[in-house]
Amino acid sequence: MKRYDLIIVGAGPSGLSAGIEAAKKGLKVVVFDENAKPGGQLFKQIHKFFGSKEHKAKIRGFRIGEELLQEANDAGVEVVLNATVTGMYQDKEIIVRISDEMHHYKGDAIIIATGASENMVTFPGWTLPGVIGAGAAQTMMNLHGVKPGNKILMLGSGNVGLVVSFQLMQCGCDVVALVDAAPKVGGYGVHAAKVARTGVPFYLSHTIVKAEGEDHVTGVTIAEVDEKFQFIPGTEKHFDVDTICLAVGLSPMSQLLKMAGCVMEDNPKKGGQVPICDEYGETSIPGVFVAGDVSGIEEASSAMIEGRIAGVAAAKYLGYMDETELKGKVTELEHALESLRQGMFAPKNRGKAIEETEEGIAISKNLLKHGFVADDEIERFPGVTHKAGIHPVMECTQNIPCNPCQDACPKHCIKIGEKITSLPAVDESVDCIGCGMCVASCSGQAIFLVDETYEEGYATVTLPYEFLPLPEKGEKGTALDRSGKEVCEAEIVDIKTSKAFDKTNLLTMKVPADMVMKARFYKRA
Amino acid sequence: MNSINDRSRYIGEFVPAADDDMLICRCEEITKGEIRKAVHDGMFTLTEIRRYLRTGMGLCQGQTCAKLVKGIVARELGVSPAELEPVTSRAPMRPTEMKVLGKEVKEEE
Amino acid sequence: METRIEEHPILGKQETGRLVTFYHDGKALQGYEGEPIAAALKAAGVMVHRYTKKEHKPRGIFCAIGRCTDCVMIVDGKPNVRTCVTPLKEGMKVQTQYGVSAEPEK
Repeated sequence: MKRYDLIIVGAGPSGLSAGIEAAKKGLKVVVFDENAKPGGQLFKQIHKFFGSKEHKAKIRGFRIGEELLQEANDAGVEVVLNATVTGMYQDKEIIVRISDEMHHYKGDAIIIATGASENMVTFPGWTLPGVIGAGAAQTMMNLHGVKPGNKILMLGSGNVGLVVSFQLMQCGCDVVALVDAAPKVGGYGVHAAKVARTGVPFYLSHTIVKAEGEDHVTGVTIAEVDEKFQFIPGTEKHFDVDTICLAVGLSPMSQLLKMAGCVMEDNPKKGGQVPICDEYGETSIPGVFVAGDVSGIEEASSAMIEGRIAGVAAAKYLGYMDETELKGKVTELEHALESLRQGMFAPKNRGKAIEETEEGIAISKNLLKHGFVADDEIERFPGVTHKAGIHPVMECTQNIPCNPCQDACPKHCIKIGEKITSLPAVDESVDCIGCGMCVASCSGQAIFLVDETYEEGYATVTLPYEFLPLPEKGEKGTALDRSGKEVCEAEIVDIKTSKAFDKTNLLTMKVPADMVMKARFYKRA
Repeated sequence: MNSINDRSRYIGEFVPAADDDMLICRCEEITKGEIRKAVHDGMFTLTEIRRYLRTGMGLCQGQTCAKLVKGIVARELGVSPAELEPVTSRAPMRPTEMKVLGKEVKEEE
Repeated sequence: METRIEEHPILGKQETGRLVTFYHDGKALQGYEGEPIAAALKAAGVMVHRYTKKEHKPRGIFCAIGRCTDCVMIVDGKPNVRTCVTPLKEGMKVQTQYGVSAEPEK
């Protein structure tokens, strides 16, 4: 039987991060992954990540994946692909299927970083071809370059449902509706807003009655539900779709830990069955650690930090570092992790109804119900100001851990401060030069540049645009408001693309002056 | 163990429901009605349900239906899903042919 | 309607393998070598991968990462092959799976 200092199961963000830290301390590390490619779900994430610099904010997920792989290579982490760990036994022994053979390995320490699996919901027709998981949609479009469908209904308004809806539109699919049985949008408001303004209708307190079709999906019926999630008769709505996408949450994939005998708990705040572990991710079995979604559903940024913590903790467990060094390393990592776990969407706030922001501003009710901030709500947020000439309007209305806009402005006119969940505010004493760096840096695509006094009777709105084909300068189309409703004619007066914007193009459209606080998206004629 | 395993506990009669024909276990094609009936037949734990009906015993090994079955059984028993012990985890975690399982490699140290 | 994404606003032009011919229920189709069989089938408009044993109901891609096993088909004579994680090779014979057989049940 082959022995390693450290065996890691899963080469996703947390597993690779753990491997890097342990290998850097001199441990002989191997990472097994059942997939043909490393990186877990990171390579399907094409949006810019949230957080701050230390969390690699405003970098797209797949780029973070590339950096992580490079780092793992440099550190000498051995990654074995197409290697399925099918069992874990006493004394840290595992069996691995590699091609058509079973191999036994023993680790002096083991880190389980197997991630999560998707939850599903049932409705008549849910087994029809064309009903797919949101992860399947991401895999098909972002890894394999194949559209999951043409007309798609998304079930689930959490971040996965919102992000995947946007990605579906980016690859040319038509998202006909976003549906959730819950009465409120579950994910970040900024993710919802960027979907809503393209014209996707949100149906909260609605769910799927049935999927229609003989051999594959040809349509879907949804209906409103009451507080007890029972259908309200007469509220049915039909859509012609070829695909229904399910994004209804994730569950930790913790079976290996249960099999090995770790003490488990069913923790709804963590998404299901998770091992009980300490702050280093060590389970009830000494030397068996966990990191990432398998220890509680969060996201890739926190998974990477948890991985690093587990990696150094494993090094300490095997005597490759002392208590002082461990404490030193972990303190910094825990600080980074803690800052991600702040704000309205923090794990500790799951299920809580939050009425106002940390600043004491009432949350937009319309955002939670329809996916966009209403015209009569937007003015109360600190990022929304008015002045002559060009200036940023930051429609960031919820406390989420994210601050790249603050660093993006070369004139320092955006202030978030020490607490990264604070709403961005404008320093009105500094003049905006209209460079657009803040627009491109906002992972939530919530920053616009407006010039309320562009020319007599007209204003301009500069917006982030990540679709193809790009409009042409001088072309005329329609401006859509935050709800996706057509509000006026718009003329494209400028298009900026730059390496620094990382594929977020900046469209500047000219609209009638009274539309400057309404027009937020551009639809080609 | 807790009160879930108390077989003398009365959970009421099986009452047919409109969605009893809803497929829950996609691999073994087991319906919600079959699962609910099994509870009334005395199968109070997820492991028993699994052996009785083969839910989660197909190719995917319960990847998709485990949480759904848990929810249905908990509801039928009138307990929270968190109170139900999940089924035993055992190798192989992924579908593996017998000929592969039998082909063990002896590695050098 | 075109199902291949020719150019993506973020990912650019897709890198593909060599275009190869494979056979779906005897019919010649084309796909890129190395991509999952399921991706090639989807691009060719094939939705149904199998019919179930008990209820004879159609199934297709569901999780696309090898977990749910709904997309299994008969590949080169071997049943229960997860097409979403099995790379396409030139000349592969892919068949709709009925229960566990290649023949529709009478």
